[in-house]
Amino acid sequence: MKKSKLVLGAAALLALSVAVAGCGGDDKKAEQGTKGEVMVYTSIYPDIIDNMCKPSLAKAFPNMKVNWFQGGTEKVITKITGEIKAEKIGADLLMVADPSYYLKLDEKGLLLPYVSKESDKVIADKDDKGAWHAVRISNMIIAYNSDKLKAEDAPKSWKDLLDPKWKGKIAMPNPLLSGTAYVFAGALSDKYGWEYFDQLKANDIRVEEGNSAIQNKLLTGEYAAAVILEENILKLANTKKEPLKVVYPEDGVVNVPSPIAIFKSTKNVEGSKALVDWWLSKEGQEAVVKGWMHSVRGDIAAPTGAPETKTIVENRIKVDWNRLANNNAEIKEEFRKRVME
Amino acid sequence: MLSRINSKFIVISISVLLLLYFVIFPMGVLLYDSILLDGEINFANYRSVYSQDVNWRALTNTINLSLMVMVASVIITFPLAWLVGRTDLPGKKIYRTLLVSSYMIPPYVGAIAWVQLLNPSVGYLNEIFKFFFGLEQAPFDIYTFGGLAWVLTLFYSPFAFITISRAMEKMDPTLEEAARVSGASPMRTLLDVTLPLMAPSILAGGLLVFIAAGSCFGIPAIVGMPGNIEVMTTRIVTYIYMGDDGGIRDATALAASLMFLANFLLFFMTWMIGRKDYTTISGKSTRPNIVELRKWKWPAFCAVGAYSMISIIIPLGSIVLTSLIKSLSRPITLDNLGFDSWIPVISSAQYMECIWNSVIYAVVAATLGTLISLFVAYLAVKTTVKGRSIPDLLTVIGGSTPSIVIALALVIAFSGNFGLNLYSTAWILIVSYLVKYMTMSVRTIAASLSQVHSSLEEAALNSGADWLRCCKDIIMPLVAPSIIAGWFLIFMPSFYELTMSLLLYGSETKTIGVLLYELQTYADTQNASVLSVIILAIVLLGNVILNKLSKGNVGI
Repeated sequence: MKKSKLVLGAAALLALSVAVAGCGGDDKKAEQGTKGEVMVYTSIYPDIIDNMCKPSLAKAFPNMKVNWFQGGTEKVITKITGEIKAEKIGADLLMVADPSYYLKLDEKGLLLPYVSKESDKVIADKDDKGAWHAVRISNMIIAYNSDKLKAEDAPKSWKDLLDPKWKGKIAMPNPLLSGTAYVFAGALSDKYGWEYFDQLKANDIRVEEGNSAIQNKLLTGEYAAAVILEENILKLANTKKEPLKVVYPEDGVVNVPSPIAIFKSTKNVEGSKALVDWWLSKEGQEAVVKGWMHSVRGDIAAPTGAPETKTIVENRIKVDWNRLANNNAEIKEEFRKRVME
Repeated sequence: MLSRINSKFIVISISVLLLLYFVIFPMGVLLYDSILLDGEINFANYRSVYSQDVNWRALTNTINLSLMVMVASVIITFPLAWLVGRTDLPGKKIYRTLLVSSYMIPPYVGAIAWVQLLNPSVGYLNEIFKFFFGLEQAPFDIYTFGGLAWVLTLFYSPFAFITISRAMEKMDPTLEEAARVSGASPMRTLLDVTLPLMAPSILAGGLLVFIAAGSCFGIPAIVGMPGNIEVMTTRIVTYIYMGDDGGIRDATALAASLMFLANFLLFFMTWMIGRKDYTTISGKSTRPNIVELRKWKWPAFCAVGAYSMISIIIPLGSIVLTSLIKSLSRPITLDNLGFDSWIPVISSAQYMECIWNSVIYAVVAATLGTLISLFVAYLAVKTTVKGRSIPDLLTVIGGSTPSIVIALALVIAFSGNFGLNLYSTAWILIVSYLVKYMTMSVRTIAASLSQVHSSLEEAALNSGADWLRCCKDIIMPLVAPSIIAGWFLIFMPSFYELTMSLLLYGSETKTIGVLLYELQTYADTQNASVLSVIILAIVLLGNVILNKLSKGNVGI
């Protein structure tokens, strides 16, 4: 008796799972105009997508369904790499935080050139023929806990992190696992040479998996100061009133303009273009700023508590994006050898 | 006679075909890719990968670490399994649940808890030690090889515990009785009779731990990375995140090495076990005798209690506490505690959807997986067919392959280029869980099948039952506890699986592990601990229901 019930139960579950799997598949319709479906692969924060993008887009494009695949930059890039290898690119649009990756994609001829109608409003980086536009600006900065450290004692520049008083009390995210940290490693090794990282290593800098681990350890006081993304700190300081402060280093912020681009393989060209326009429009850029990042337009204010985007950009460290795109493995290995051994 | 052979043959060959198609084929495609350079067979990848010191170091670190964790796990769990399963230890039911519950905590969540407890600058436990013993420096540093081994042991020793304690409870007690009657002390009986009888299960459990520790990414990433300790999985993930073909090829070369390592160990152990006959469950007596601990009763109670406290209650408490803290930057006082972080989690529809997805996928994976595992284990242990252990080996290859490589292999093989297209569906997630976790359940069921004497089966077959009926009425009931354990061994890691899900989920199939990881990486770490608490509650609830349904016979 008991057995047959079990078997029945298992059969029911199997049937259910078939039904679920059946619903999961998505078939894209190649309709024209802002209709059909568009799939966006992005590393933008999930709460921005859920609270801002979804409602606004439903209003702007009532006939188009926008699907989101959301994950960290490296995760999304890995997924795309697998899909390119399998020649099944599932994304119509890509929005991740590693500008150098777009140079590579463009070189392989995988991106659809489209100069957005909002393009002339974009004051941040963009490709001349429209293969990609910067859509949001993140910054690598220094942060500290103002309950544990007075403002005058906090490090003022990247060079200050080499002061022996920080020995064993500083951290940075791993450039081998985080896109923005990779840009940081590239930028600083360009500016100060790899010796800078030797000196950081001598000062016992800890390399953490990602920004969030560092943010927590700043809160608990495990680290006195750390290299981290500006938006993590702004969000905590403003929404949760945590005692975290941003230092914009005197020797220049590391500025990461994250692009948006359309894949050539898209089946919904019009829809994809419309979505790029929306992201670069005032409305799309407001959503970016609400996610504590900087807008790429000149006419949108910076997030609460941050200086104007213009002053940050003027004072940024120059990044050689081509070097980052073409010497990816070498830069990562050099960093690993010098800091992580 | 003919139909009897047929049903057995058909069922087993279907299982084998499924394994070949879903385990070997994708990995074959991937391996082929790894040695194929510009259309030619070329081992340049392997040469370039192993010309770097760091990869050698990662390899030796992984071997040392996994061996250390394996030995420590067996040394810790054998006495625990014996105390809980075979003695009159007070409170053993609660202890049993406690001792396996670290298996229910997602490893990366547990690792974060231990970092909070034992980091050298402000770890809770370190602060407590400093306060009580007036120490200048923190006594423990989690970011070391020892710290890494410690956390891995706590999280993976339940594999050994489950395997060993299951077998122990199914053991034929007459041999022990004979030893006791002949005047041997309980300790002597344990060492001379019980221990040798348990050898296959100990080896099986140890192997599970070795494989799990060797292919774990979450714990080394969180605990090892700040201490600059590289293992194979962190190297593989690093290569994969290079974001180009070369990176993936290098990753595959490393992954293949890890696979071979695990399989070498497996062959060695099969060879060791293969030389002895371990049939210990007969048809007559099934209730093992209970050893009276007498004066050792309460000391043993305290020892097991202390271990449970350290391994389970403290890290769990740390997770629950984190979910209740309003601000991590302030000290833990009453006015800094509240349900603030719980509100956005409970009120969100997105969270419920992910939880529901995960439950369904894990249940389907566990049910299918247990069924296939039973046939695979039967084939390996109970038949004399040539190549009978090959399917078993196939599941082990799946289990010992790092999750991220399985996921990549599945993407390449099942996105329509070779016919079947599972990409972005729930099935590709379920298949990945099966490939990765079935070996746990095969090991558990095989260990317990190896103790069932074939006389029982023969009796049923001689009385005219066909093989499927015999399977259902004789074999399955006899190994029922291990089947349930096997089911849970697939269900639980699938339920909160992260690494593969991250690569395989589509916009409609987001799972709870992915969500948890998102929260963990995207600023809301406290919501992450809320979600961890919810995951724990669900798994514990499932365990209680299982226990009730089986009238206390079953449950992890």
